[in-house]
Amino acid sequence: MSDALLTMKGISKDFELADGSAIRAVNDVSLTVEENSVCVLLGPSGCGKSTILRMMAGLEDPSAGDIMLKQHPVMGPARERGMVFQAYTSFDWLSVRKNVEFGMKINGVGARERKEKAEHFIKLVGLEKFIDAYPTQLSGGMRQRVAIARTLANGPELLLMDEPFGALDAETRWHMQELMVQIANEENTSMVIVTHDLEEAIFLADKIIFLSAHPGRVKEVIIPDFKDGKRIADKEHIVQLPGYAALEHKLMRLMREEGERE
Amino acid sequence: MSEVNSRKAENQSLTGKRNKRFLEVRKPVSRRQKILSGVGIWAVFFAVWYLSTHAGWVNKLLVPAPEQVFGSLYELIAERGFMSDIGISIARVIGAFLMASVVAVPLGILMGTFPAIEAIFAPFVSAWRYLPAPSFIPILLMWFGTGEAPKLALLFIGVIFFLITLVMDATKNVRAELIETALTLGANRRITLFNVVLPAVLPDVMVAMRQMLAMAWTYLVIAEIVASTTGIGAMMMRARRFLNTDEILAGILVIGALGLLFDLLFAQLHRWLFPYLREKR
Ligand SMILES: Nc1ncnc2c1ncn2[C@@H]1O[C@H](COP(=O)(O)OP(=O)(O)O)[C@@H](O)[C@H]1O
Ligand SMILES: [Mg+2]
Repeated sequence: MSDALLTMKGISKDFELADGSAIRAVNDVSLTVEENSVCVLLGPSGCGKSTILRMMAGLEDPSAGDIMLKQHPVMGPARERGMVFQAYTSFDWLSVRKNVEFGMKINGVGARERKEKAEHFIKLVGLEKFIDAYPTQLSGGMRQRVAIARTLANGPELLLMDEPFGALDAETRWHMQELMVQIANEENTSMVIVTHDLEEAIFLADKIIFLSAHPGRVKEVIIPDFKDGKRIADKEHIVQLPGYAALEHKLMRLMREEGERE
Repeated sequence: MSEVNSRKAENQSLTGKRNKRFLEVRKPVSRRQKILSGVGIWAVFFAVWYLSTHAGWVNKLLVPAPEQVFGSLYELIAERGFMSDIGISIARVIGAFLMASVVAVPLGILMGTFPAIEAIFAPFVSAWRYLPAPSFIPILLMWFGTGEAPKLALLFIGVIFFLITLVMDATKNVRAELIETALTLGANRRITLFNVVLPAVLPDVMVAMRQMLAMAWTYLVIAEIVASTTGIGAMMMRARRFLNTDEILAGILVIGALGLLFDLLFAQLHRWLFPYLREKR
């Protein structure tokens, strides 16, 4: 956890409105996502988290600044930066297996390798019993697992997730968070996860980038060092560690400050 | 005490099974009740029809009895070659509908996918939608004479512009996240169009086609009544000259039955082609 995987330098984003005026959603953001690390973007609703993530994905172009993945400038969406959305994105006309194979198939991966990888990642997310089911037969949490397996199986260098568990009920969300920690540990996947859920941020993050509201700027970069550099895939355990409560309290205060600024 | 009593009156008993009432808000009815009700309303319709003709409440020349209508339907089919009229009408609907679909479905999908293509065709298509197709009949007759061409052209014009718009709107409703997911998986434009947008929109395209097929039947009857010597509509106009109201009603009956039949076929096709939609939670 030291080499930079993705860097943003002086990124700003203006959206043009229908009346011709522009609003600045993101203002002069610079940040680094290290290799094999989980980076969480945290901040109040509307502060520009999604916009930043979409620029990383290449789905939006920055109005100013540079984004680099390793040594290459980011231009447009590509396989190396996979994205999981909050809304369900399973392809309903394909079975779970075909969904997970989709990215590999369009990228010309051979049938044998596709099958192996799909089965590996479907197993990783615990859906092996549903491998031939259609997404419409699955619950929301299971569909989100399909989306995660599909993105991981495609072999991205960076996994981008925009409030991926926001639509799930509390218990499912908890299981999914533990699954993500397990995946980060086992697959060494680098991730950027957007959330406005403090608990989720502390649980998942190797590094928390806290954004201030309107326009989005980096307010503070926080390393949850009470975890001692380890990723703990067990939520009951982590909330009992000394330092957890203090960090949660700090994030709450930041959230409150930003909320009142509006 | 009085509160308990009034609840009792409403529900019969506080503990036991509640009495079933005929009108329940948004409670589904049993299959049996559904079938009985459906058959019932038609039985009432035919009974009123039967009674009013036999009791002499209506002019029998203008409103023939139901058994007379079914009798002449049988006679038309068995002795007067009505089947070939029916066949011609079906062929016209299917032929014109297919021609319109072959143009409208791909164009609608392209317009819904690429705003540049929408910008070209939308101003044109939406203007045509406001022109009632039958207003073209006189000019179509002058251009194409009296063969099949003017009829097919009328159906084509009547269907195509609405179908393009419906398909375009359905395509625009394909969720942006699906397309963006494909892009971040490494899809190019061709793959996004053929492997994501197309399969995502196909069920809705089928629904749009089903709606427009019903419209095609409407234009068919207009075309055959106004300018044709063959087909169901033409038979009805011939019957009018000889005051054969029973044959006119038989024609209406056949048109209705065909419309229903095609609608059911489309619904069944939808079920066959998109089995995954049946499991929807
Ligand atoms: N396509 C867009 N057009 C105009 N304004 C937008 C667009 N996308 C986002 N915004 C604005 O940018 C700001 C940041 O939005 P977003 O990145 O979605 O915030 P977050 O994900 O943190 O809730 C908001 O004020 C939002 O209204
Ligand atoms: Mg957002």
